[in-house]
Amino acid sequence: MIDVLTDNFDRFAAGLWVTVRLVGISLIVAFVLGTLVAALRVAPSRLLRSLGGVYVEVFRNIPLLVLLFIAFAGVRRAGLDISAWTAGTLSLGVYTSAYVGEALRSGVAAVSEGQMDAGLSLGFSYRDVLRRIVLPQAFRTVIPPLGSITIAMIKNSAIVGASLLALPDLLKEARIVNSNTFQTTEAFFWAAVGYLLLTATATVIFRALEARYAIRR
Amino acid sequence: MQRHRWLWLLAAVLVIGLVAAGCGDDDDDDEGAGGAETTEERSFESGTTMARLQEEGRIRIGVKYDVPPFGFRNPQNDQIEGFDVDLGNAVADALGVRPQFVEAISDNRIPFITDGTVDLVLSTMTINEERALEIGFTDPYFIAHGRILVPEDSDIQGIDDLAGNSVCTAIGSTYQETLREQAPDADLSLVDTYSECLELLQNGAVDAISTDDVILTGMIIQDDSLKLVGDELTVEPYGGGFKRGDEEFQNFLNEVIAEYKADGRWQNSYDEWLGQHTGEDQTPPDATLADALEGNIE
Repeated sequence: MIDVLTDNFDRFAAGLWVTVRLVGISLIVAFVLGTLVAALRVAPSRLLRSLGGVYVEVFRNIPLLVLLFIAFAGVRRAGLDISAWTAGTLSLGVYTSAYVGEALRSGVAAVSEGQMDAGLSLGFSYRDVLRRIVLPQAFRTVIPPLGSITIAMIKNSAIVGASLLALPDLLKEARIVNSNTFQTTEAFFWAAVGYLLLTATATVIFRALEARYAIRR
Repeated sequence: MQRHRWLWLLAAVLVIGLVAAGCGDDDDDDEGAGGAETTEERSFESGTTMARLQEEGRIRIGVKYDVPPFGFRNPQNDQIEGFDVDLGNAVADALGVRPQFVEAISDNRIPFITDGTVDLVLSTMTINEERALEIGFTDPYFIAHGRILVPEDSDIQGIDDLAGNSVCTAIGSTYQETLREQAPDADLSLVDTYSECLELLQNGAVDAISTDDVILTGMIIQDDSLKLVGDELTVEPYGGGFKRGDEEFQNFLNEVIAEYKADGRWQNSYDEWLGQHTGEDQTPPDATLADALEGNIE
């Protein structure tokens, strides 16, 4: 069992590092775009709100694998020289951003309207009410769903590796180890351990955030 | 409410119907092109793989679905056809059973044998020592050679030019090792199937594909803006794969293959799938499994 890991440690380590970078970059893309989309979704203008809605529905309702094929094979065929890394991180990031946007919107919606009214009637500006009263409370309620989304994204990164982008991520390296050694159970066991390491790290971070921003009720 | 319930029932029936139709379709697909029971049925000692297959009335054969001209889905009639498929039909004929073809890609064909998903693999599979520790092999039924495929306007002339370029091959193929040894500075793109390699070469994501010449020839048949370059990198004797240690099945398969080579069926299949495209003549290989394992084949 352990010898499959030690004999092929370089491969597993290289694969894990590719997965970490893939997840890291996609996570930034997802949170930046997700925040922008959430802002659109709660905007005072109806046009902006429906724009955000279309974005969410489009990217949440297309399978990630299809997005990857469009973003890589499709875009390249259309003549744009997009790299596998760009296509992979962009697809995973955009796909996840739809979920991040919805989580953030639900957080804002969870803060009752009375708070906004109270803030305004006390003489705060709209911006100040959002910044000092609504958003801090919204942030607190969205930590758990954002944690779930992050974990789902770490696991979805394996789809990027399995697609025709041919990025040498953790799963791909485990498959190479498997085809070299024929130790199927062991090769994929260590891949599972690698993904668990990443998801467990995400869990710990989000738990800590939850505890840090908890309110006693 | 009552109305809704009927709608749900209707939806359920539709779904079940579609699933059933889908399964039915698959069965039809798997029938294969060859007619079974054309030759007189041989009887085998009970307990052998051959007797079991005759009892089951079918042999499950793992072939490729995307590698013309060895195993591919004919877009005109949706049948699985090719050089490997012809041989599979011959094996089924010799048993007097129905061939049931299953898609076996490079990465899963050996697990398919060891876990019993298929009875036989005829999937452009090179005989080598590492694989012979996992599965049993027949005598070689075809000898391929490793080559490199590039677009017509490429500067790559051979294996030495691959350094610094990206080259695609299938995960689980022998080229994973071959390229690492012979082109250590090339950037390897490993995908599941050769049709994905072809897509990557056509859309410019990789600079070259390296695998068996006959598979690459199949790609040129599909897209004549591609060309073969360089010398032969490797010798790749193809063998049928089955469960390791099943000597009776091995002897039976070798007999069938020897007959297939001797009575002209091999030649007919070669001419149909390869000869007419390459314009090259070839005779059936007479090398044995031992020759293949020891590397005594040119």
